[in-house]
Amino acid sequence: MTFRSLALSNVRGNWRAYSAFLLSSIFSVLIFYLYAAFLFHPDVRSGEIRGAAQVKQGMLACEFLIMIFSFFFVLYSNSAFMKTRKKEFGLFTLFGMTRGQIRKMVLYEGAFIAAVSIAAGIGLGMLFSKLFFLALGMLLGSGETIPFAVPQIALWVTIAGFFALFMTITALTLLRVGRSQIVELLREARKPKPEPRLSVAAALAGFLTLAGGYALALTMNTMTFLVLSIPVIGLTVVGTYFLFSQGSVAVLRLLMRRRRFYYNRTHMLTVSQLVYKMKDNARLLFVISVMSAVVLSASGTVYVFQKLQKEQIVEHTPYAVGFVERGANAHQVVDPAEVERILQSDGLRITREQKLTGLLGENLVSVGSAADSGSVDEKDRMKAMIVSERDYNREAQILGRKKADVAGSEAALILPYKEMESFSPLKIGDIRFTLGGKTVALKLASQMGGAIASPVSYASYMLVVDDALYETLRASAPPQSTLVSYGYDWANWEHSEATVDKIDAAIDPAYERQAQTYRVPSYASGQQSIALTLFIGLFISLLFFVAMGSLIYFKLFTELQDDQTQFKALARIGMTAAEIRRIVVTQVGLVFLLPCLVGSVHALIAIQALGNLLHSQILKYAAVVFGIYIVMQAAYFAVTCATYLRSIRKGGRTATE
Amino acid sequence: MQVLKAQGLSKIYGAKGGIAYHALDQIDLSVDKGEFVGIMGPSGSGKTTLLNLLATIDKPTSGTLEIGGTDPVRLSERDIALFRRRELGFVFQDFNLLDTLPIKENIILPLVLEGAKPAVIEQKLRPVAELLGIEGILNKRTYEVSGGQKQRAAIARAIIHEPSLLLADELTGNLDSKSAKDVMNALRDLNERLSATVLLVTHDPFSASYCKRVVFIKDGRLFSEIRRGVNRQAFFQQILDALSVLGGNFDDVPFARA
Repeated sequence: MTFRSLALSNVRGNWRAYSAFLLSSIFSVLIFYLYAAFLFHPDVRSGEIRGAAQVKQGMLACEFLIMIFSFFFVLYSNSAFMKTRKKEFGLFTLFGMTRGQIRKMVLYEGAFIAAVSIAAGIGLGMLFSKLFFLALGMLLGSGETIPFAVPQIALWVTIAGFFALFMTITALTLLRVGRSQIVELLREARKPKPEPRLSVAAALAGFLTLAGGYALALTMNTMTFLVLSIPVIGLTVVGTYFLFSQGSVAVLRLLMRRRRFYYNRTHMLTVSQLVYKMKDNARLLFVISVMSAVVLSASGTVYVFQKLQKEQIVEHTPYAVGFVERGANAHQVVDPAEVERILQSDGLRITREQKLTGLLGENLVSVGSAADSGSVDEKDRMKAMIVSERDYNREAQILGRKKADVAGSEAALILPYKEMESFSPLKIGDIRFTLGGKTVALKLASQMGGAIASPVSYASYMLVVDDALYETLRASAPPQSTLVSYGYDWANWEHSEATVDKIDAAIDPAYERQAQTYRVPSYASGQQSIALTLFIGLFISLLFFVAMGSLIYFKLFTELQDDQTQFKALARIGMTAAEIRRIVVTQVGLVFLLPCLVGSVHALIAIQALGNLLHSQILKYAAVVFGIYIVMQAAYFAVTCATYLRSIRKGGRTATE
Repeated sequence: MQVLKAQGLSKIYGAKGGIAYHALDQIDLSVDKGEFVGIMGPSGSGKTTLLNLLATIDKPTSGTLEIGGTDPVRLSERDIALFRRRELGFVFQDFNLLDTLPIKENIILPLVLEGAKPAVIEQKLRPVAELLGIEGILNKRTYEVSGGQKQRAAIARAIIHEPSLLLADELTGNLDSKSAKDVMNALRDLNERLSATVLLVTHDPFSASYCKRVVFIKDGRLFSEIRRGVNRQAFFQQILDALSVLGGNFDDVPFARA
C-alpha cells in the first residue's frame, strides 16, 4: 500500500461525509466555469455579442463572490472534518506514523479532492455551457446565438483558481494537525458532552433584540430608513445568534418542564437530544439563517421589482400610447386615424381608447405662495388641463381610479403620479390661473395622485371642476385653449415594441413632447435587465443553497457515529423502527428547516419593510421566491433524512450481528 | 412457572457453498420464575449467540423459543421490538445509558416509551431507586457518576417496567472489584426481594457465584450444570473447578476476586 493509495482509501472510507462537501465543491467550480466561459468567450471579448457589456460587470463580481464564498465554505468543511478524524490521526500516530507522514497524507487527500472537484466541475460546466449560452443569448435579446466554445483562459483560470484555493486551505489545515498528544487525540471522540448551559437573561435578550429589530424594520419609512437600517440589521443578526445559542435551549427546557408533554413516549428522547444538537450547531445554524435571509431578501427584492415595474408603469401611463392636441380638431402631433391604422395593420386588438376634451389653464399658482409673488420663467409656469367632473369621473371609472367630488367654485388637482402626493406644487386653498388670457380664481379643495390620461405636456396636471363651472369657462375660452387627450391601450402591449416604433415614426418630431410612447420600450428594457440579474443571481443563490444544505448534511453525518451507538442501544431495549424514524425525522427536520424558516421570516420582514417604503403590497410576490426556497430545502431534507436513516439502520444491523 | 423455555435451539452461520459454522447446537434450557441463572463458557463457546437469541435480536436457525408464553420468532419486526420492550430487561457490559439524559430519565425511558402517566412513572421509580441505592444520583448526568452507579442505573432501567426476564451480559466486565460487588449484591437483592427472574451471561466466576444455578456451554453445546448450596464462597470454588474441567481460554478473566 503506497501513501497515495492510503489517502485515496481514506477518502473512499469517509465517502458519505465527503459526498455532500464534494458535491458543493463541484457545483462551485461548475458555476465559476460557466461565468468564466462567458467572460472569456472569444465573441464576447471581441465585442461581437451586443449587450454582453451589460452583464460582464455583474458576472465578474459574481466570480469573486464565488471564490470568497468557496474559500470559507471549504475552510469550514475541512476544519470540521479534521476534528472528526482526530481519533483516526491518533491511531496512525500510535502505529508510528510520523507527523510529517500524516501531513503528507492529508496533503494527498486534499489534492485528490481538489482534482476530482475541478475535473468534475469543469466537465459538467462544458456540458451545460451550451445551454447557459443559449439562455443568456435569449435574455440579451439581441437575436444572436453565442456559439459553443471552450475558452482556454477560462479553463486555466478555473483550474488555477480552485487548485490554489484547495491547496491553501489544506496548508492551513496542516498547521493544525499533529499538535496534540496521542492520548488526547484518541480520547477526543469519547469525551462526554457537558449539559448545555442556559442563561435565561441571554435568551430573553435574544428574543427582545429580535423583536426590537422586527418592530423597527416594520415602522421604518422613507425618512427614517437611512438612520434605522443599520440598527435593524445589527439587532436582527445579534438576535438571531442568541435565538439559536440560547433561545433554542430555553424553549426546549420549557418543553422539558412540561411533564405531560415531555414524558409522552418518544418526546423525551427527541427533545433531550435536540438540546445538544441545537447548542452544538448553534453557530452554523445562525450563519445559515443569516445567509438565507440575505439571499432570500436579495432575490425576493429583484423578483418584486420585476413585478412592481409593470404595475408602476401601467399606473404611470394609463394608456400604452397617448398624446395631447391643442385645438378641438387639430392633429399636429399625429392623426388618431393613423395610429389606429398602424395598430390594426399589426393585428393588435385595441382594448381601450380615450378622447378626453378639456381646457388649457396656464400660470397656475396658490394665492400668496412664493410663485405667486415672484417672477417665474415662462416655461416653468405651471399648466394644467381643466376637465369637467363628469368627464373625469367617466375616465376614472374606466381605469378603476377614485372619483373626484367638487362643487361650486371648488377644484381638485390631479397629480400625474401617486408618489407625488406629498410634493404637490399647489396648496389647498385659493388658487389662480389664466384661461385664454383671463384670470380665473378658484378654491383648491383636494388633490390626488394618478393621471387618467397620458401625463405629458399640458395634460401632466389636471384640474377637475364642477360641470356647470366648466361650461361657463368653456364658453368664454378661445378655441386655441381647447385640449384633447387621446389614448390607446391594446392587448399584449408588453410585446409590441415594433408597433410603437412605427407610431413614433408617424409622430411629428416638432410636437413629440406632447406624446407619450415610452411605456412599451421602457417596460421591455426594464424587464430585460431584471431578467438578466435574476438569471445571473439565480446560480449564485443556488450555490448558496446547495452549500448551506451540504453544511448541515455534513454536520449531521459527523454526529452519525454517536447517534448510531445510541439508536443501537435503544433498538436493543425494544424501540421500534417506526419510533426511531419519528425521532430522527423530527430532529433532522428541525436542524434543517429551522434556519430556513428563520431566514424566511427575516426576509419576509425585510420585504414587508421594503413594501412599506414603496407603498405597495409586495409580500405576495416575495412569497413565490420563499416558496421555491422552502420546497428546495424540503427536498434536500428528504434526501438527507433518507440517507441518514439508512446509515443508522445499517449501523444498527452490523452491530447486532 | 416457566418464564423461558428453549428447545433444540441451533444457530448456524455460513454463506452458501461456504463452510457452515455451528455457533449453537441443540440447546435446551428452561428458566423458572424467580430463578437466578448464570451461563458460562470460554470465549467462542456460543454464549453471546445464545444471549442474542434469547434477547430476540437474532433468530435461531432451528429450534423453538418461548418467553413468558410467547414465541418471539413468529412475531413481526415491530412486534418483536415491542415484545423486547415489555417482556425483557437488558443490562449490558458498557451500560448503554444515554449521555443526553440524566440518570432518572434514563431509568424511566421504558415507561415513557410505553406511554405511562407521569404520576405512575414517579410512583414506580422510587422503590426501584431505593432498592438499588441510587436515589442520590437521579438528577446527575451519566458522566458525573461512577461505573458501578451507572450499572445500577442500567439495572433500574431494565426492571422498572417489571419484565418477565432480565438478561445481563457481562455486566461487571467494565467495573472494578468493589463496584462489581455492589452491582452483584444489588442484582441478588432484586432477585430475592422482588423475585425477578435473572439470566446472566458471564465468564467471570465471581459474578457467576451470585447465581443459584450455573449452566456451562462449550462449542455451542450444553456441557454441565451446577446448583448453589448455602455458601457463596463454596459455590465460587465449585465454579472454578467446573471451569478447569471445561478448559478453554479464560485468561482474560481476573480470577483474584471473591
